[in-house]
Amino acid sequence: MKKILLFMTLALWPACESAAYAALRVDIYGPGQNIVNLALATPIKGPQAEASGMGQTLQHLVEQNLNILPFMRLTSPNAVLGGTLMAGYEPPNFDFKRFQLAGSDIVVTTFWPGGDSGTKAVQMRVFETNTGGRLFGKEYPNVTTRDLPEVADRFCADLLEALTGNGAFFRSTIAFVKKTGTMSANVWLIKPMGRDLRQITNMPGEALSPAWSPDGRFVVFSHIDQKSHALGVWDHSNNKVQRIRFPGNVVIGPAFMPDNKVAVALSNGKYPVIFLLNHVFQKERVLEQSEAINVSPTFDRTGTKMAFTSSRMGGPQIFLKDLNNGSVTRVSRNGAYNSEANLSHDGTLVVYSRMTDFGHRIFVQDMVTGMERQISFGPGSDEQPSFCADSYFIAFASSRGGGRGIYLTTRHGGDAKQIPTGGGPASFPRWNTPAAQK
Amino acid sequence: MKRIALILSLMMALAASFGCAKKTGAGYDDGLTPEMRAAIEQITDARVYFAFNKFDIKPEYKDLLKNKAELIKKYNSIRVGIEGNCDERGTQEYNLALGERRARAAYEYLVTLGVSPGQLEMISYGKENPVAQGSGESVWSKNRRDDFRVVAH
Repeated sequence: MKKILLFMTLALWPACESAAYAALRVDIYGPGQNIVNLALATPIKGPQAEASGMGQTLQHLVEQNLNILPFMRLTSPNAVLGGTLMAGYEPPNFDFKRFQLAGSDIVVTTFWPGGDSGTKAVQMRVFETNTGGRLFGKEYPNVTTRDLPEVADRFCADLLEALTGNGAFFRSTIAFVKKTGTMSANVWLIKPMGRDLRQITNMPGEALSPAWSPDGRFVVFSHIDQKSHALGVWDHSNNKVQRIRFPGNVVIGPAFMPDNKVAVALSNGKYPVIFLLNHVFQKERVLEQSEAINVSPTFDRTGTKMAFTSSRMGGPQIFLKDLNNGSVTRVSRNGAYNSEANLSHDGTLVVYSRMTDFGHRIFVQDMVTGMERQISFGPGSDEQPSFCADSYFIAFASSRGGGRGIYLTTRHGGDAKQIPTGGGPASFPRWNTPAAQK
Repeated sequence: MKRIALILSLMMALAASFGCAKKTGAGYDDGLTPEMRAAIEQITDARVYFAFNKFDIKPEYKDLLKNKAELIKKYNSIRVGIEGNCDERGTQEYNLALGERRARAAYEYLVTLGVSPGQLEMISYGKENPVAQGSGESVWSKNRRDDFRVVAH
């Protein structure tokens, strides 16, 4: 209840803040991704009065969050002549010049009007340093120490949205699988920054391939025990898990369509076939079949494009089906073994893994130009890539650190950062669609 | 209350002991004749191995499957589970499908030889249930296999 109140109230705070939104934009999707230099002013609770309790913790969390963004460079406080402790948190009591001279494009101010211990409100504002214009501001009322990670995530999501048009990353939750032994694995949830880790299934046998429903209510997954395959369904509304069996021998790689229906590969005679299930998880119709293996469906946000893995040309390759007209086109054209496709929500990119002599590597293909680009280079094996709803960040499983773990990169590649998942081999990262959580 | 709990736990222990004897076959006092126990061992001991990313039965395993077929037909109370497996190199979802094709290849061959489909069942473990750990072709070739398990007799 407190959480609801917290975020309901912040939504009421100056509506005019959004007026300046379009002032500074960062294109993270184009080929020439630009860098934003951002400075954090020292959090204050009054003129020149540093907020050193919750203020400092929140500052640290925001810093951690922003450091994960490849297009963001944080200005060192030492580079700011005269320091980052200011008389105020907005003009005219704020000196933008010193931040501008330190090379910062934008500066964040944090003000704790009632102090920063106990349960207090905090105001955060973002300004352009060259004009002093405000990009946006938010107030988070009734904040306690426990709320600070969530406040940091909410603020960073809003900042990301103001700069790039999409703040999904910091609002997301990733479902993944953690293995505890041979044929023993369960489904867990975690925030991309490694917070709020929790286990949602506890079943004997092995869970694989979790996938979120668009409304965030369900996580479905394949479940294998000693006797059978089944579709596992975790219901967020009651925290219960059901195991649904189907005629035949396999239940592989379920994925939700935008209308909350599940597509999954099931046995139908000789080869696995991609079926659409209805809202109560019963077979509705065939989405794709051929005299070959067809598995691992993935959809764009309109549900009109489906990428999948098929062995119709020998080894596994990625194909795209237009669900409006039924046409199927081959996507992956290089390499003998491409699988685990994941379509970006905007449908413009498909990411997949390719077997190479050195393990699997992740590739992204632009669906408009047909250009393919390698975005992971090991060591170890990089597999199971999954797009965030922003179509920018990509999570994948990798054995580069010895054991298997979950890593983050972007559609452009670059240094991958590991998400701490609390020990044990972790794999199959799958993002939710965070609009459902708002 | 205590008595109910005691009776329940006794019933569970009894049920578990019956289950074990039925599933594992040889090695338990399960009422099997020596001939039947030997047949079960022959059915379950020998594996069928596959080439990378393939699911066709190699000629060298056809006699082995013929032998299994004869034994399964002879003991028609037996139910055999065929478990398809893959090596670690492929990806998990695709390997689950490939493992199913491997299990199905043996299933179809046995049915062609006259085994009743009602005596057979299949499951794919993909690459989740390796018998050999490590990397390299000597390990991978051991893991690309069909296992045979007597699930009821």
